[in-house]
Amino acid sequence: MAQCSTVEKPQNEIIMRLAGWLKFMAQSMEYPDPCWLTADHLQLLYSLLDDLGWSKELESLPSQDEILSEPGMTALQVEYTRLFINAIPHVIAPAYGSIYTDSEGILFGPSAEKTKQFYHQQGFDLRGSNDIPDHLNHELRFVSILLQDEKLCEAEQFLTEHFHTWFHQFHDRVVEKSRHPYYRVMVELINFFTTEDNEHGN
Amino acid sequence: MSQYAMVIDLEKCVGCHACAIACRAEWEVPVGKDSEGREQHRCWVQRLGPAKTPHGLSYTYYPGLCNHCDEPSCVAACPYDLETRTFVDPVTGKKVTMEVSATWKDPFDGTVQINKEVCWGCGACADACPYGARYVNEEGEDPKADKCTFCVERLAVGKEPACVQTCLAGARIFGDLSDPDSEVSKYVKKGAVGLESSAVKIGPNVLYFGNKRDMSLLKSTCTPLTMPVADINTRRLLMGRLAKSSFKGLKNFALIGMVGGLMIENASDKDSEE
Amino acid sequence: MAINLTRRKFLQSATCAAAAIPFARMAKAEDNFVRKPYVAPGSFAGTKSVTGGICGMCFWRCQLVGKVRDGKLIKLEGNPKSIDNGKSICARGNAGIKLLYDPDRLKYPMKNIGKRGAPVWKRISWEEALDECASRMNAIIDEYDETALSIFPHGSSAKYPMEFFEYVVGTPNNSEASFFQCRGARDMAYLNTIGAPADEDVDMPNAKAIFMLGTHLGENVHVSHLKKYLKGLENGAKLIVVDPRFSSSAAKADIWVQIKPGTDTAFLVAIMNYLVKEEKYDEDYVDFYGYGFEEFVEGISHATLDWAAKICDVPAKQIKQVADLLAENAPNVSIHPGRHTSWSGNDFQRERGLACLTALLGTIGVKGGFVKPVNPKVGRCGWPRLVNPHEDSLHYLAHKYPYSPPGTPTDLIRETALSGDPYPIKGMIVWGQNPMQTIPDQQLTIKMIEKMDFVMVCDVMPTDITMYADILLPETCYLERYDYVKKGTQWDYSQPHQQYISARVPLVSPTAADHERKDSVWITNELAKRMDYEEEIPVKTSKEMVENILAGAGLSLKQLEQEDGIHIQPGQDPYDVQYDVSFYNSSVAEAGFPGAPTYLPCPQPPKGHARLIYGRVPVHSFNRTQNNAWLYNEIPRNPVWINDEVATTMGLKDGDEISLVNEVGIESASSSILKTTPGIRKDVIYTSHGYGSRNPQLSIGVNAGIDDNALISARTIDPETGTHGMRNSFVRIIKQGKILDIPA
Repeated sequence: MAQCSTVEKPQNEIIMRLAGWLKFMAQSMEYPDPCWLTADHLQLLYSLLDDLGWSKELESLPSQDEILSEPGMTALQVEYTRLFINAIPHVIAPAYGSIYTDSEGILFGPSAEKTKQFYHQQGFDLRGSNDIPDHLNHELRFVSILLQDEKLCEAEQFLTEHFHTWFHQFHDRVVEKSRHPYYRVMVELINFFTTEDNEHGN
Repeated sequence: MSQYAMVIDLEKCVGCHACAIACRAEWEVPVGKDSEGREQHRCWVQRLGPAKTPHGLSYTYYPGLCNHCDEPSCVAACPYDLETRTFVDPVTGKKVTMEVSATWKDPFDGTVQINKEVCWGCGACADACPYGARYVNEEGEDPKADKCTFCVERLAVGKEPACVQTCLAGARIFGDLSDPDSEVSKYVKKGAVGLESSAVKIGPNVLYFGNKRDMSLLKSTCTPLTMPVADINTRRLLMGRLAKSSFKGLKNFALIGMVGGLMIENASDKDSEE
Repeated sequence: MAINLTRRKFLQSATCAAAAIPFARMAKAEDNFVRKPYVAPGSFAGTKSVTGGICGMCFWRCQLVGKVRDGKLIKLEGNPKSIDNGKSICARGNAGIKLLYDPDRLKYPMKNIGKRGAPVWKRISWEEALDECASRMNAIIDEYDETALSIFPHGSSAKYPMEFFEYVVGTPNNSEASFFQCRGARDMAYLNTIGAPADEDVDMPNAKAIFMLGTHLGENVHVSHLKKYLKGLENGAKLIVVDPRFSSSAAKADIWVQIKPGTDTAFLVAIMNYLVKEEKYDEDYVDFYGYGFEEFVEGISHATLDWAAKICDVPAKQIKQVADLLAENAPNVSIHPGRHTSWSGNDFQRERGLACLTALLGTIGVKGGFVKPVNPKVGRCGWPRLVNPHEDSLHYLAHKYPYSPPGTPTDLIRETALSGDPYPIKGMIVWGQNPMQTIPDQQLTIKMIEKMDFVMVCDVMPTDITMYADILLPETCYLERYDYVKKGTQWDYSQPHQQYISARVPLVSPTAADHERKDSVWITNELAKRMDYEEEIPVKTSKEMVENILAGAGLSLKQLEQEDGIHIQPGQDPYDVQYDVSFYNSSVAEAGFPGAPTYLPCPQPPKGHARLIYGRVPVHSFNRTQNNAWLYNEIPRNPVWINDEVATTMGLKDGDEISLVNEVGIESASSSILKTTPGIRKDVIYTSHGYGSRNPQLSIGVNAGIDDNALISARTIDPETGTHGMRNSFVRIIKQGKILDIPA
């Protein structure tokens, strides 16, 4: 069981920023649509990469005009469909945890049920009674909510026991199979924001 | 003492595999092999033939599961330290106190069960079974040995074993051998037998009944001919496995002596989990 | 040089703009956490039982109960109230939850913005998808005619769209797979002999003898049908199985006739000729109900036991043994009509033979014989029949296939699509069918697809055909929708007579955050609105449709729910219903076909080849279950059966990795394992249907097993019905790249 750290707690503002960025990541991983994928959203993304010093990733992305143009938006939509919805012979990187953790690669596997129990234990539930609990977007938003409520222990526990059990495999698949840089960059960012500093590799 | 038993009537069985799938659904049994290469199943169906037998052509099936043996070799193989435990008969209230490890034969109903709370998932029991009825389930936090329980949990709420319920042919008959009027006892009188050989005689309580040619094919292809060899260095083997496996909970156990020393020895090799 | 900040440093720094995003709701109180090992709780604890499910993993439609825990369907079981399947369901039924949670299921409408056959999928909205489907179909109708559309349906959910296109829009080009690649020859033959379709209505539980041609119960599983068969065996019925292979039912038979494929009609007429000559038939029944009996006797008089023995490659003694056994046990004999009967392109005649034998032995209407159940009546709800398009049907115009089942023979549709004669076919609508693995000669199907202006596919799972869709629509699966009203009686007529009525209701909600699947009523209605048929729409929703059908029986969904999903009422004695029997059918003769059941030889394997025959395994339904992890695990690949002596001669061993090549050089795209066995004729190769789904863009996943349909390129068509004969393709074996002749 995770023990709450007795070392100094990070400042409230830091936690809120992290929560905000996780929410931004979740939004960025929704189906590309001009209603949310706007110039403002892209500017936030570019500034983020710039401030982080990730120049290679920044340069790999198409320009704002390219992405927002019709062919650019279509290219993103096609890529999203291919990676996360349907592809031949199999969808490439479905964004659900139990696909990766449970031996049969099925939706709503036993690990997803445990994730749903975790939501309940924290006093939350999904809007739809039959919704699949361990979708990437649900999990990112959930961690964001926990952080906003200053439930640091629980957030870290969730990340360790429910998110990181599958995210690395998902991340690797996207990085390996993606034909569009946007999703490669997104999973790198998600990885960055969900991992403790001392666990970072090189 | 009761002895729960299952009879498979091959005259009725049509090899539809429903039992194997219903069991998977009921008990969330993963597919594929565990990390030691064992098929992960509690209940399985093998297809046999068509092949020649001394009594004619046969095309039949081997629906298999844990035999809940009279002298289970798996129980003897479990390395978990013996603990005193009191069992209560749910029917009569009678009490029996025994020393058990992580797996035992129930003194009241004769089924062989596993205590998942203490099982280490070392797999010694699975290796000791001549029928391949056990495997190690690595789906959860810690590996656990797993096998057919004769659905005692379902029996306790008045339901049949899941495989028996779904069998569309009525080919799986479940009951108490100690009751001479039970269906299973009647099958024994008709000649139902377990799969035993000269080297493997541990008293299986899953019995097969069928015509001569089908029983001939079943026995000649599916009877275990040897008992798994006991490993003299079982402890070292087991500890090696424990160190290798993603057994996160090990550090939470106050395992003195046997494990503790080895843990220190292997600490630098083992992947750190926290 | 990039400076990689740590997360902490980044969040602390002043250079980043904190996202000004509004935050979500406040948290409630925490719970304490306990660490316990995960032990599967079983389906009986902490679950809700939901009744009203009707299985859709095959087409027998067992009645289900779903066990739901916290929004997840964890197990399916038979509804104990069912007097059909009872508490049992088969392997596929049990595995249905794997379909529900299959990550490859279609989720959103998709448009192919690449090439047809090499798709680049883009998810689109329903609005866009329906607009495009309708406008492209309208364009085809405007430029050509309604007859320029063709539909390839299968399954209960396809009935509503099929009827819309056939009887409202008005195209006769309906290639119903269950007729043209399955039951068509059987039902048309029985209709033209006893005036009623056969279905599989033999009273096996109460039979003294059961006679099966090719029927392989056990490898083919329909729960209540198997119960009938097993009950008959339990009651001591003698079983006769005629099959080139030692099938699951041959294994339980008293007599196994290892017949040469394609010659079954010779076998039947020889038996009937023997029974007539020996006066071992039901003369009374023939006198009262028989027509054309003299011409019939004349027509089969050449069929001696020796004649048949030579053709069928079985001992004359054995044919006599079978005939005598049937006669001894008549009239309580079940002559099984079969189900998938599209074998050799001479199937109408064979099925006529079975129907005549059924009557000759006096088995109609008696215990153990041919007895149709008295089903309860329910309402009807569907599209009005505005037009009868079948005056324009291709077989009518071509003066061919006068005994075609409803719809249009598939081959005529394909040929017409390619030639444009007598009229163009430019649109293809596929609903729940996979023509690529269903119809012989895959190359021809692909050629037809290439000529289409528009291809629309609606399905639950991606299959081979979905790769050819211009617009691909995701349908709700059987666990998520209302559609089928299942009715029937108890399966054993010796039991008290009861009838049941039940309706397929969703066991889980179809709506969820991560998909937009719709049911066929909604989809068809939306298309109808855009094709100017809004006024003809009979019901707004599938739920309404089911309510209307139930209302015709005085029932409602609410009432069914209160009755645990199944309404049971007293039934009627089904025995003693008689039929007039056309032993010799003069209309058939006038149409230019043999009027008495007649053996017509089918093509023989060229030297070095063996005939490819196929059947089922109990864990798969065609290829629609191939992606199911549980079912795949039971029988991952379809073994290829070959006679063990032949294998030895060829230097092959049991377990060898092999693939197949057919008589025109088509090779299987993938391989499988060889199964050498004495239980199969030397001139025959057998494997199970539905494996080896072909995907040119292979990246993840393995082509498991061999696709038998890819090798079935010969198009033999039954001349009376236009149904396909699918066992006239011949193969050789490929091992390690070398083609090996089969010394038959």
